[in-house]
Amino acid sequence: MSGLTRRESLIAGAAVLAAGCGATRSARTGSTLEATWRDPHGTGVLQRAAGEPLIARTELGAPARARRHLATIAHLTDAHVLDASSPARVPFLDRLGDPFQSTFRPQEALTGQVLAGAVRVIRALRPDAVIQGGDLIDNDQANELSLALTVLRGGTAGWGRPYFGVQLAANPDPFYYRPDLDAPRHPGLLREATRRFTSPGLGAPVHPALGDHDILLAGEIVPTAQTRALAVGEEAVWELPPGLTLPPGIAAGLSPDGPPSPRLIDNFLAQALAGPKVRVPADPARRQMNAAEVVARLSGSGPTLDYFVDVGASLRLVVLDLARRAGGSGGLVRPEQPTWLAGALRAAGERWVIVASHQPLPGAEGGEALLGILDRDPRVIAALSGHTHRNEIVPRAGYWLITTASLIDHPQQARMLRVLETAGGGVALETWMLDHTGALAAISRQLAYLDAQGGRPRGFAGTRLDRNVTLYRRAP
Amino acid sequence: MPVLAASGIIKTVGAGRAARRVLDGVNLEVDAGEVVAVLGRSGSGKSTLLHLLGGLDRPDAGRIVLAGEELTGRRPGALARVRLRHIGFVFQSFHLIEELSGEENVLLPARLPGARRGGERRARRLIDSLGLAEIAGRRPHELSGGEQQRVAIARALVGDPELVLADEPTGNLDQDNGATVLGLLRELGDRAVVIVTHEPEAAAIADRVLRLEDGRLREDADEAMALRESA
Amino acid sequence: MLTAALVVSDGLGRGFDRAAGAADLPDAIVRFDPEPAGQVAARIAALPDLAAFSLRREFTGVELDAPGHTSENAAVEIIGPGRRGYAIVAGRDLSGRPGEVLVERGLAAAWGMPLGGRIELDGSSPQRVVGFTESPDNVSYPLAGPRVYVAQVGVSVPPGVNLAEIWLRDPHRLDEVLVQARATSYGVHGLRFVTRAGVRVLLDQAAGIVIDLLVALSLIALLTAAVMLAASARAEVQRRLQAIGLRRAVGASRSYLTATQGLEALIVAAPAATIGLIAGTLATYGPTSRLLMMLNEPAPGAALALPLAAAWMAAVAIPVTSAAWPAWRAAGRAPVALLRGAELAAARSRRRASPIRAGLTVLGARLAGARRARLVATATALGSSTGFVLLMLALASALVSLETDPGALGKRYQLTAQLPPAAVGQVRAIPGVQAAAPRYADEAVDSFSLQETIDVIAYPGDHTEFEAPPLLGGSRIARPDEAEVGAGLADALGLVPGSTLAIQLASGGELRLRVAGVVGSLDHDGRVAYVPARALLARDPSASEQLVVRVRPGADLTRVTAALGATAAPAAGATARGVPLVDTLRAILRAVAIVDGLVCLYALIQTCALTVQERRRTLSVIRAVGAGTPAITRLLAGAALALVAPAAAIGIALERWLLGPALARLAAGYATLSLGAGAGAIAAVLAGLVVAATVAVLWVARRAGRESVVSGLAAP
Repeated sequence: MSGLTRRESLIAGAAVLAAGCGATRSARTGSTLEATWRDPHGTGVLQRAAGEPLIARTELGAPARARRHLATIAHLTDAHVLDASSPARVPFLDRLGDPFQSTFRPQEALTGQVLAGAVRVIRALRPDAVIQGGDLIDNDQANELSLALTVLRGGTAGWGRPYFGVQLAANPDPFYYRPDLDAPRHPGLLREATRRFTSPGLGAPVHPALGDHDILLAGEIVPTAQTRALAVGEEAVWELPPGLTLPPGIAAGLSPDGPPSPRLIDNFLAQALAGPKVRVPADPARRQMNAAEVVARLSGSGPTLDYFVDVGASLRLVVLDLARRAGGSGGLVRPEQPTWLAGALRAAGERWVIVASHQPLPGAEGGEALLGILDRDPRVIAALSGHTHRNEIVPRAGYWLITTASLIDHPQQARMLRVLETAGGGVALETWMLDHTGALAAISRQLAYLDAQGGRPRGFAGTRLDRNVTLYRRAP
Repeated sequence: MPVLAASGIIKTVGAGRAARRVLDGVNLEVDAGEVVAVLGRSGSGKSTLLHLLGGLDRPDAGRIVLAGEELTGRRPGALARVRLRHIGFVFQSFHLIEELSGEENVLLPARLPGARRGGERRARRLIDSLGLAEIAGRRPHELSGGEQQRVAIARALVGDPELVLADEPTGNLDQDNGATVLGLLRELGDRAVVIVTHEPEAAAIADRVLRLEDGRLREDADEAMALRESA
Repeated sequence: MLTAALVVSDGLGRGFDRAAGAADLPDAIVRFDPEPAGQVAARIAALPDLAAFSLRREFTGVELDAPGHTSENAAVEIIGPGRRGYAIVAGRDLSGRPGEVLVERGLAAAWGMPLGGRIELDGSSPQRVVGFTESPDNVSYPLAGPRVYVAQVGVSVPPGVNLAEIWLRDPHRLDEVLVQARATSYGVHGLRFVTRAGVRVLLDQAAGIVIDLLVALSLIALLTAAVMLAASARAEVQRRLQAIGLRRAVGASRSYLTATQGLEALIVAAPAATIGLIAGTLATYGPTSRLLMMLNEPAPGAALALPLAAAWMAAVAIPVTSAAWPAWRAAGRAPVALLRGAELAAARSRRRASPIRAGLTVLGARLAGARRARLVATATALGSSTGFVLLMLALASALVSLETDPGALGKRYQLTAQLPPAAVGQVRAIPGVQAAAPRYADEAVDSFSLQETIDVIAYPGDHTEFEAPPLLGGSRIARPDEAEVGAGLADALGLVPGSTLAIQLASGGELRLRVAGVVGSLDHDGRVAYVPARALLARDPSASEQLVVRVRPGADLTRVTAALGATAAPAAGATARGVPLVDTLRAILRAVAIVDGLVCLYALIQTCALTVQERRRTLSVIRAVGAGTPAITRLLAGAALALVAPAAAIGIALERWLLGPALARLAAGYATLSLGAGAGAIAAVLAGLVVAATVAVLWVARRAGRESVVSGLAAP
């Protein structure tokens, strides 16, 4: 492994820090109302560009003057904080393309720093509450959750050990981006990625939603004895095992709605582990958690993460837990949820309601039932979700379906929402995107942009109407 | 039988409107051992006559015979050969070659292709007899005018020529050196010598004095006698 | 000389960039095993920095028939919509109607094919040639197989594309794009990337050694030309010193004199430069264009006008300046000194008596030597030209060896023998053998995706003794766990010095080595890897082995072959197809050599004429005392000898110790060339010098003999 001398890494670190300080100063707020990152010439390089002012969307109501500010909320989702050195990962599947392109990303070693950059930006805007939209971690590992929570709450975080994964320079596999060798070259990046860094913390109440990656391996698989052993063990699979045949169920769709058969999974894992393996340093902190533990650590409650909370005097936030405990990444509505939701809405009284879930309601299994309930309640103004990693705003009956992009794929943005009461009794939702700050985070943003399997070719950034808009809702 | 016989020499110099007939029917005969002086004003064509006699130039008309050989109508290569074997030149400005020592200057004609045999022997004798032995190794610019002219005379004689042509031989010399040179020219034995000059002292050593006027040669016996007497 | 140098160096040096621009050469050309067009398009469309791409189907090994010519290994590209990547240099592009075909200009020229001619592909019905193309992404026929383009319509072929041309918005970001392209290329087999920079490398390999040498030669020619122009102009002023002094004496100002001198030089230099320009251009344009056509690059054309104009101005400016500057200096001296005939430099009187008896020849030498500085300058210039000609003779013979002797491109051994490695000691003992070593070869595939064979070559020690393809980046193998990879392999796997190479050998063993350097190897499209023998044998003891033998220069090849026994065979040459290229290159060399020869002749005539002019009086005196033309000839011969002798020595020494080694070092990356001129070449050049000197002397002597002695005597 080509390494930098201690002296070089110190200098590099100092330079990075200095650059980071500079970057923080220059991209002060991260608000895309003031400035954005764009690729004006289509050359694959993101550059600072002018901000995007709010555009009025009037599908659900005519524009009206804002009378009273009700609440400011940040929506931060799909951070996918991941331990890139973990042997419980399957990056070799990435080259097979769809549906596995999320198993490896060139920027995956920098997820902690990206989250910290988003936290810094959100903190400076002093929201009344922050919705953590799920998929906070990537692979249901305890150390991933520890680092992510430290970043959200404030403190010094780090992976605790040097990087030892597929992106090392010594890895001959040309399908991985190796920052020491491949363009754009960032020598020493992996070393930088595992250094400790501080996060100021959000400084506001955090309301989590539960995502598939928070409790399932790769967002699909329930941990088994074999996978748990793999996570804390010394053997990793970096290369695509020759002649690997995938279980038919997995190969089919993007996220099968039903739980994959455990037998198929075991079969697949056995094949994979029979191929060439690499010896890696073991880390017990990579322990795979069960869902109850995750929920408990996120919210202190459990076993499911359905709850509501009031933000200010006029807004109620209802959070729905659609994560499947039995495996599979798609949303699943549990039988008792519609009733619970109806009750939460009734109890909201005159407050406006924003519903949040990880998976979007329209695509979830049983989601129509929930949507029907929401359609009938005139106080519901928006349903927030993540999971698709895509900025998207779609009007529905009397409220807006808002999806926010992820922090791991391009465009790596969070969303700000300001709820305003308008003249005439209606409500306006001002929403705009936030870009994170920080030097390493900026490298992650550029790498994510270049990724030919990432958010750029798939249009995750959405259109201007999906980003910085004022959503008007007429009076009920 | 005269060594040199020129008859009916006509020569025009210059071109166009500046053309002048400097020689208009010149006749001259010189015997062996005879010293002839040709006097004339500057620009009268004396040097031109000398050049023609020496085969350095062609007359427009007329005939020149030297030592039984026809000069007129010969090709330059033949004329050069004639000059090499039969003529020795002495010039006013010596015309020694700077890159050669005095001795080498004297030997130069002897080393030309077609030269008469025995040139080196003659050169050594000439150097000795002309008192040039000490300075023979020096370059011309290290020699005085008189020494240079004596070297030139030695050069002129090294081919044992029948005719010696001297163009103002004392023109660049002081009185003493000039007298020495004239004395040498007087003592050339049975060679025919033609001296072109404007100085009366040079004419004084001549057996015959001719004057070139209006393109013709006139014998001036009275003048000759007068000059001889005044010398 | 200046012009010739310019034409050649501009044409060859910038030819690629001109062609790439004209042909809209893609930034990357990707070849792969056939895939459905939709899938390929989807993968390419996801790449960053993409401006445009076009997909094609390419067939190789196609039989091409035209009246009087045939080829078995033509390549046919079926064009789809989108950017072309070639330039139409005659006729028109394909219209999409069936029956039309485009051919490369080089092929059309070689086969004498006119526009509208007929050509058959694989025995199908004749297609009509509607246009000629030029595309520098590969060399043209006859350096490579012929290539034609057809539209989709008229041909029935299996579906799928196997060639993609990619244009980028910012070509400097190509490396990033290639990283993404590799990352998303799983499942695509036989992947091969050729980039614009890589194409340049490819072309440079094909003709690079000679192009480099020619460009370097042109620069030397430039220098020589400048020296000679300056020397001759300076001599003119020297000749005119007394005239200058006279004018100063009557009151002409310094700047006036300088200006008039410069103007006079200009009046002579301008037409002379024009003639020289035309002559040089005519001499070199033809062969250079032919060479460029073979390389699929356009002839210099109008773009050359500006550099040629600059050369013309230089060719005029140098003599004018060389005349004005000494005139300026001379006019600054006291007029009296000038009238006396002082030299530009202070004269030194030499009292030393010469030991050589001064015959005419020596006198002539002394006359020439009187102007010491000029003699030195002219001898240097003449010597440079002589050295130059010697170098070109050496180069011509080196080129011949390129054709026939593999000890040229990359390979440094001439013979192979199927003997066991243990016999290497015996082989080394054979007289005439300079070095011998075992050579192991194996086939491998990369461990990950390519499914394309890689040639693995291994030597026990330093492989550069026997095979040394030029190093394009990084360094040679230094440790037992390192490898050198060909550029083609590096591109396909994204290898850079420092990467790890992982390949699967035929025996099943896997070899992982650190990439030390990337080399430009012509073999196997650059998909080669040089590895230490121990590493290879550890994984595959059954790798094929043979002994390679390098023969001492000058040794008898047949004798060594016989000593090696029945298993000996000559090593395969790399440029068997390069004969037309080499012929054209030799034509260029010949043209430049002729121009140079004329310059030498000029220098000699100049020296003799100047001697005559400056020593008119002396010459007239000598003629007056009886020297005929033969004597003058002998005199001038001495003068010429005074010039030729040192010039020859300078030329030989220059070539042997400066020019030859310098150029050989330039080319060392490509080939081992010994560019020291052989005895035969030296003898030829000396003979040429003597002939030129003789011509010069005779010419000038004849003219001098016709001048009037009388006027010469009167000269200063």
